[in-house]
Amino acid sequence: MIPRRSIAIARQDWRILRRDPFPVIVPVVLPLLLIPFVKPAFRLGFVAEHIRHTAGAEQAVPAMDVTFAFFLVGNSSMAFFREHAWRTWDRLRASPANNYEIVLGKIVVPLLQAMGQFALLFGLGSLCLGLTVRGSWGSLTAVGAAYSLYLVAMGLAVTALCKTYMQATAITNVGALFIAGLGGALVPHAFLPSWARTLSPAVPSYWTMNGYREAILGYGHPLVSVAVLLAFATVCLVFAALRFRLRDTKIAWA
Amino acid sequence: MFLSATRLEQGAVEATSAPSERVRGLGRTACAPRRPRSVLAMTGVHKSYRDVSALCGVDLEIEPGEVVALLGANAAGKSTLISIAAALCQPDAGGVWVDGVNMLTHPERGRRSIGVATQETGVYPSLSVRDNLRFFGELVGLRRKMLDDRLQRVAEAFELSAVLDRETQGLSVGEVRRLHTAMIMLGRPPLLLLDEPTTGVDVSTRARMLELVRDLAMDGSAVCYSTHYLMEAEQLGASVAVLHHGHIVARDTVQSLIGSYGRSAIELRFDGPAPQLLDVPGVQRSEATLRLATGRDPAHSVASLFAALGDSIAQLRDVRLIQPNLESVFLALTGQASSSNGERLEVAGDT
Repeated sequence: MIPRRSIAIARQDWRILRRDPFPVIVPVVLPLLLIPFVKPAFRLGFVAEHIRHTAGAEQAVPAMDVTFAFFLVGNSSMAFFREHAWRTWDRLRASPANNYEIVLGKIVVPLLQAMGQFALLFGLGSLCLGLTVRGSWGSLTAVGAAYSLYLVAMGLAVTALCKTYMQATAITNVGALFIAGLGGALVPHAFLPSWARTLSPAVPSYWTMNGYREAILGYGHPLVSVAVLLAFATVCLVFAALRFRLRDTKIAWA
Repeated sequence: MFLSATRLEQGAVEATSAPSERVRGLGRTACAPRRPRSVLAMTGVHKSYRDVSALCGVDLEIEPGEVVALLGANAAGKSTLISIAAALCQPDAGGVWVDGVNMLTHPERGRRSIGVATQETGVYPSLSVRDNLRFFGELVGLRRKMLDDRLQRVAEAFELSAVLDRETQGLSVGEVRRLHTAMIMLGRPPLLLLDEPTTGVDVSTRARMLELVRDLAMDGSAVCYSTHYLMEAEQLGASVAVLHHGHIVARDTVQSLIGSYGRSAIELRFDGPAPQLLDVPGVQRSEATLRLATGRDPAHSVASLFAALGDSIAQLRDVRLIQPNLESVFLALTGQASSSNGERLEVAGDT
């Protein structure tokens, strides 16, 4: 049950998002445009693994979701940093909402954004881009939800770690490319060098790609992938809980 | 009525005139009789930032219906005091109670009784005035019709009705200031903490804000009003707490303070820079002004001042006798003059 004041905070963030949806539209539209370009490469990846009768979209859609969803970590951080920029953070803290309610309210909209991006990419991928889910949509959604939870938790950890929004965006941008690349979301995992393939399980994108692949190709239930993603999310949440001081001043625009 | 009958009977509120119609709707309804007590009580509050002491053993109590003007120069500790009262920062030592709730142990519960308007305006620029107000109404637990009603009343009281659906970033400075303060009124908190609420606003907005604060106090709210503008304390009919280097050096009504500390002074204005008069103790010098507290023997003070001027008397443009007022009290207590433009006078010798 979400406390009433958390709902109020989430509703306010939703109003802000409605006024300026551009930061959410771009990470959905851009991957949709890119999927046709990367599909052939991912099809070759399947061929290399002797997996036949695939269009490439079975990996291209998840890959673009994993890569571009990571940028939502920045959106998640932004929900906190802009309050500092607008001088509303102390007003929020001086309200009857306690720390737990504030943080909970702040993660609702980024979580919905991540899930919305997942739904749109896979939905449109299935309708227009040749994605065929041979396994279970339920399992696929479980992976998407676990990854979304991880992204929001990562956003909290980044916010807790960074003093300025520039630091947060640097981590997000570089992190998105690094984690996506190592997890096999930029190029097929089969084409990565062997040292990179060895390191891959250390990043959540690998487990997300793995889980999506199991759910899409019908290779069983992606329980292990979901569990590992939830473990990553837990680590981020624990880090944020230990490090996040709501009374700390943060700098948004410098 | 907008004012709690119980509080009136107990004499806790010294209402001298009826609040304006605009604020009538904001009033709390009469509550069950209770013992009058301080809405804000701070005892022995200390706060340091590294090796700088911001507050040194501050004691402060504010009763329902009372406006306390918190006066002090920059860095006197006013904003720190307000932050601690609102539990936005922790004191190093001391106790803070709001409406009987210990703010150090139960800050979340205490905050339900507080409305804080920080020194810097904090509003959501991309949202409308209505959405800004609505959010703070939702945070204090208002819903649906009650929220809409309260929002309309607050907007009316703060003359924001005409701009309710406009984006905040398109408002004037005065409108943003009014919105900034209005946002804390939705929940009708018993304690209002206003940190320099009239900074940067024009004369008419300032007058309107002061009127609203007076009316809210008459309505039963306790108000802690931090300001640089001494005149505002008098206009508010506030009692005064003078904060100097982290200490409350005086706490009384304006009239009592003037009676205790006020001194008349003579002020000389020059054409060009005022001369340095090191031989006359207590002379304060700003760019073109000299000021001397005249004490009990004004004739002697004036004579010694003129005698010390020497050739500089040729540049003398204006001589003014200043009667005891809050400014002279502030001067006597802090050794600093505060003026409307924030000019700070240098003090030669002992004041």
